[in-house]
Parts: sequence; C-alpha cells; structure tokens
Amino acid sequence: MSAGHTISIGGASTSRRDAWTLGGSIAVHVIVLGWGALTFAARPLTSDATPMPIDIISVSEFTELTAGSRNAPKAQPAKPVAEQIGERKPPDDPAAKIAKTEVHAATDKAAELPEPKPPTPEKKQLEPQRDLIAEAIKKDLAKPEPKKAEQKSEQKKAEAKPEKKVEPKAEPKTPPKKDQPKFDPRNVAALLDKRTPQRLAATGDVVNSNIGIGAPNASSNQLSLSEIDAFRRHLRSCWNPPAGAPTNKRVVVPITIRLKMDRTLAAQPEVEMKATDAYSLAMIESARRAIIACQPYTMFSLPKYETWKELSIDFDPVEMFGG
Amino acid sequence: MRSLELTLSRRRALAGAAGLSFAAAAAGLWSRVGAAPRITITEGNMQPMPIALPDFVGGALPDPAMARGVTQIITSNLQRSGLFAPIDQAAYIEKITNIDQVRFPDWKQINAQALVTGTLSRQPDGRLGARFRLWDVYAAQYLDGKEYSTPPDNWRRIAHLISDAIYERLTGEKGYFDSRVVFIDESGSKERRVKRLAIMDQDGANVRYLTRGDDLVLTPRFSPSSQEITYMSYGQGQPRVNLLNLESGQREVVGNFPGMTFSPRFAPDGQRVIMSLQQGGNANIFLMDLRSKATTRLTDTAAIDTAPSFSPDGSRICFESDRGGRQQIYVMGANGGQAQRISFSEGAYSTPVWSPRGDYIAFTKQAQGRFAIGIMRPDGSGERILTDGYHNEGPTWAPNGRVVMFFRDPGGSAGPSLFTVDVTGRNEQRVPSPSYASDPAWSPLLR
Repeated sequence: MSAGHTISIGGASTSRRDAWTLGGSIAVHVIVLGWGALTFAARPLTSDATPMPIDIISVSEFTELTAGSRNAPKAQPAKPVAEQIGERKPPDDPAAKIAKTEVHAATDKAAELPEPKPPTPEKKQLEPQRDLIAEAIKKDLAKPEPKKAEQKSEQKKAEAKPEKKVEPKAEPKTPPKKDQPKFDPRNVAALLDKRTPQRLAATGDVVNSNIGIGAPNASSNQLSLSEIDAFRRHLRSCWNPPAGAPTNKRVVVPITIRLKMDRTLAAQPEVEMKATDAYSLAMIESARRAIIACQPYTMFSLPKYETWKELSIDFDPVEMFGG
Repeated sequence: MRSLELTLSRRRALAGAAGLSFAAAAAGLWSRVGAAPRITITEGNMQPMPIALPDFVGGALPDPAMARGVTQIITSNLQRSGLFAPIDQAAYIEKITNIDQVRFPDWKQINAQALVTGTLSRQPDGRLGARFRLWDVYAAQYLDGKEYSTPPDNWRRIAHLISDAIYERLTGEKGYFDSRVVFIDESGSKERRVKRLAIMDQDGANVRYLTRGDDLVLTPRFSPSSQEITYMSYGQGQPRVNLLNLESGQREVVGNFPGMTFSPRFAPDGQRVIMSLQQGGNANIFLMDLRSKATTRLTDTAAIDTAPSFSPDGSRICFESDRGGRQQIYVMGANGGQAQRISFSEGAYSTPVWSPRGDYIAFTKQAQGRFAIGIMRPDGSGERILTDGYHNEGPTWAPNGRVVMFFRDPGGSAGPSLFTVDVTGRNEQRVPSPSYASDPAWSPLLR
C-alpha cells in the first residue's frame, strides 16, 4: 500500500506535467495542422483539372509516327467533341418515330426560319407581348397618324379574332398537317435524319483527345508524353553530337525552333547561347544540323498546333559522355 | 538571458528561413504552371558523320595525281578516326570546279552533313599551295577554310594538317593526324630478332630507322613538348638512358646508372626525365634534371615501383607498384610522398600512362591469362577495358587524348603489330608497319 501511495504522489506531479505536455502537444498539433490545412488548401492543384491524354499506340504505329514522310497525307479534321463513347445504335424506324413523338430535329427548325410565317393560330403565351407593343405604338403615334394606328389596330383585331375562333379540340390535329408543306428539297438529308440532336452532340465513335482545348486550366491542350517522347526519339536519331566532349565540362545547347503547320521549320533555329570554345561551337552546329535534318516533325497533330508551333529544346549529351 | 535571446533569435531565423524556403518553393511551383516545357535531348546517335570529300581541284601540279592523293589521305584519316563516314565519290552529283561555290541540295540529297572542297596548285616559287573550304550542308553555310604552302615533297603533311582542321572544327577538339609514332621495328626470325628504333607518320607512311640494330633498344618515349625522344639501350650489357633529337639527329647518353634502369619518360616541361632504378631486389622512382643531371629520389619502398608517368600539368605522377602484393596503379604528388592506390580490381595492372588531356590513365591489365588495354580516371573511377586478348601491351596516347595506340602479339611464330583504339573502345584499327612492330610512342602534334 505504501508503495502504491508513493507512486500516487509521484503520479500526481507527473500527471500535472503530463497535462501540460499534452496540452502543449495538442496546441502545437492544432497550429501545425491548421496552418497546413489552410496553406495547402489555399490553392488547388490546377494540373489535375482534366486527365492528361496519353496515346497508347502499337509498335507499327509508332514506327510510322517516327519515320516521317514528306508525302504524308494531310491530317484528318478533328472529330466532333465526345466525352464518352456511345453505343452504335441502328437508326430507329422513322415512321414509328413520327407517329409516336412530335420532336423535331434541329435541322427542321433551321429550314423553317427563312420562310414567312403563315397566319397560324397563336398560342396564348404570345398574347401579352403583342398587346404591349400595340399599346406602346398607340401611345406614341395614335393621334398624328391615324392611318397607321388604324392599321395596327386592324392587325390587333385580326390577331385577336382567330384566338376566339380557334377551338381547343382542333389544335392537336392541325399542326402535323401544316408541317408538311414546309418541305425544303435542299435539306432532304436533314429531314431524313430523325435522331434527336442531343445524342449527336454527346456521343461519338472516338473519344476526343482534345477535350481540354479552350479550358483555361486544362492540361490536354499540351503536348502529350507520347508526342514529346516521339519527338525526342526522332531528334535523337538525327543528332550526331561532337565527340570532343571534355570530361569535366558540361555544355548544354538551348535552342528555340518555330514550326509551320506543315511541321517544317518556319525560320532558322535560334541558339540561345554563344560559343565559348571549339567544343561548344561544334555542339551548337551539331544541334542545329539535327533540327534541320529531322524535319518534318510528323509526330505532332494539327489541332495542337498552338502547343508545338514554338518549342524550346536543350541538347545535353550527358547520357553519352557523362559515364 | 543572452543564451535565451540567442535561442530565440536562432529560432526566429529558422522560422524565417523555413518561411522563405516555402515561399521560394511556392514561387517555383507557380512559375512552372503555364510555362512552355523545355524538351531535353540527352542522347544522340553514335553513327559516324557522313562527309563528302570530292577530289581537290588541281592546277599545274608537278604530279597530277597529287591532288587526288591529298584527298585520299584526308579521307583515310577521317575514316580511321571512326567519327566520320566518307561518302563514296561515285554517289556525288555535283562536280566541284570552283571551291567557293557549292550547290547544297546536291550534297543534301546524298545525305552528306559536311562537305570539303579544296584546290592544290603550284606556286610561282615552286612550293605547293593548298586551300580548302569546309561546308555545313544542312545549314547551308561555310564553316572553315585555310591555306597552306609547303615544299612539294612534303605534300602528305598538307593532307594531315587539313584533316586536323576538319576534325577540330567538327568535333570541337584538336586533331592528331599531323603527328608521328616511334616504335621498335622487329625483323628476322624469332630467335635472331633484330630490334631497331623507327619512326613513321601516324598513318604508317614515311618509315625511317633511327638505330642500326646493333644494340637492344627498348621503351622509346616522346618529349611532350618537342620532337625529342628518350629510350633505353643495352649495349655491352650496360643499360643507358638515351636522348635523340629528331630534327637535328643529335644523340646523347643521359646517364649510366649502376644496376638496371627502366622506363624513362619525360616530364611535361621536357627538361626532366622520370625513371625507375633497380637496387637489389627492389626498384624506386627517380627524377633527373637533364641539364644539371641532378637526381631526386621520389619513392623509397621495399617493393618494385616502376613505369612512372607525369600528369600533363606536372603536379602528379602515376606509377605501378607491387607494394600491396600484386602490381597495382598508384598516384602521388610530383615531389613524391604518400601514394594513393587507384586500381582495385582483380588482376595485375602495369604501364600506366597519363592522357595528354589529363582525364584518363591508360594501362595494361593482366587477368586470367589475358592482357587487356584499359583506361580509368585519375581517381580510379570509370575503369573501362578498350581491348582484350592474348597479349596487348604498351599503351600510348594520341596528342588529343582520344585514341590509344598499343601493340598486340598474337603468340606463336608471328610477331607483334601496332593497333589503335579510341576511348570508347568501339573503333579499333591496325596501323600498317613494314615488319613486326612493338612498343609505340606517339609524338605531340608537329609544329
């Protein structure tokens, strides 16, 4: 018991110290974690806005990609935007579609626009608008120009009359009949295509690799890793670095190139350094030769022209002479 | 109090430093966002550079074939270096008539990256005049051009000088074609082999004999600063260190030392010779001033220290020693003192030679019954075997430190011959010699 008593006294003093330590520890943790949370949460990682497009290609495709050809066919225009691959559905039975639903393809409406509107019975939603215009005109021009006012009032009457005459029961039957005379022979294809316009925009055969284009923080409007890798391999095959590399000196040649849309040089490569000795001069010239000899750079896709029209390249033979 | 203040201020400084580093990191991250990525090319191909060398345009030459001969020597030099691939003349589209006017598309079409045009003509004073132009075909620009003049019988040297100029402009380092090699010419049967000191151009042409073969000659070594050689001769059983000036033909016996003397070699200043002297069962390294003949002892061990070689700046000496059991390579200061072992692999290392560039030490390595030629850095790192076989020995550096010459003995009744290999080990070439040849020593560039 006495032993236990001694321990409890000691324990009291220890526990008071423990409490201080614990309190201090908690305080420090709260400060550190709070500071960390606030600081790190202040700016989200912008680079994760969209996934980086990485093209996985076969060996043969890669060989074609890196081989390059002056007579290569022009690149295909960009695919319509598709966020996911849709299922290939056979076209629905047009006749059944018309009978069941009254949805019009967007192209049908576009064909209607240039045509003058026939005097069709107006819906109730349009009535207040017409009244407002007519009232405004009345207020402004009623007395000095009675003829115009009369015309307007006649129009108003003419519009008002059908409202009253039209019977609500007849409405469902008449619209399909009145659509038929709007046939435009120039838009036969559009009329035959009875798919809903929304599905056209949402799906496609191929996932678009440039979904991030236009988004300010997107990363997909940058060169993909596979494109950079193909470019690097291609340039490596053309570059013949001078053999006189000093063992204790590293020379890196920075060069900026500007490319035309046909993937050839728009101007002579710009070397961003000056030669200080015979070796750096030979390095600069070898890098410039490689860039000129390697064109055209067929690994770049046309839609991303903005990303590769100007490239900065460092020629650094560290892996050849470094070891 | 002071300590507390100090602690506090230190703490504050630490916090400040942490804050600053964080801010710097954040700024770095920020600058990275949105910046165009730089693409780094860390490797190129090791293919020799395709180069076009149409025949020099000749005019009123004593020998019309001379212009073609100059082109052939340049072509051969560049090809043997392993860094250039001269294109067959049959593929050339343009025939050069004016060396200053070149149709680049014609040369681009045959994939030539560089083009050399030149003329060779006889000058009014009877000397040969040569001009050449070096062109970058892809960039369509002029790179270099020089003019030389020399007596007609020295026309080969013009070709070597032009080869060096092309090599230097395209690789960024000095060439080595305008240089010579002394070696031991061996003739006669294996039992009655006559060994003569001989010299030739680095491509094997212009062989001249420097001794008659009466005495046994060994280990010729060039002075790094002049056309002077030192070698060992054993006449009447006495080993002597000899000096021979190649320009004046003057010979001099430097010293007659008691006991055996081995492997004399010049210091970089050309005024001193370093060698090893045998005393009893061991050998030590000595330095001798050629003017005063004063000798300084550099090592004092009970082992065999031999084959010393200065670093090009004269500050250090590498040598072989069996003080650790087997022969290994050691490096010490130019004034002797503590030596540091730099070779540690299995096998025995011998004949270390410091490169004129200072970046490598070449050596002979014996392991598992085979002799290899290799290189390593002066600190012992980066050891690389360049060639390996039954018997390879005696490495010597080209003046630019990119090529090593050595001799190879295939064994049996055949004798040794000379070979070169570059520091990558990829390009090995046999050097033509009139008969068997051994113990080569490469000269510095001729002046």
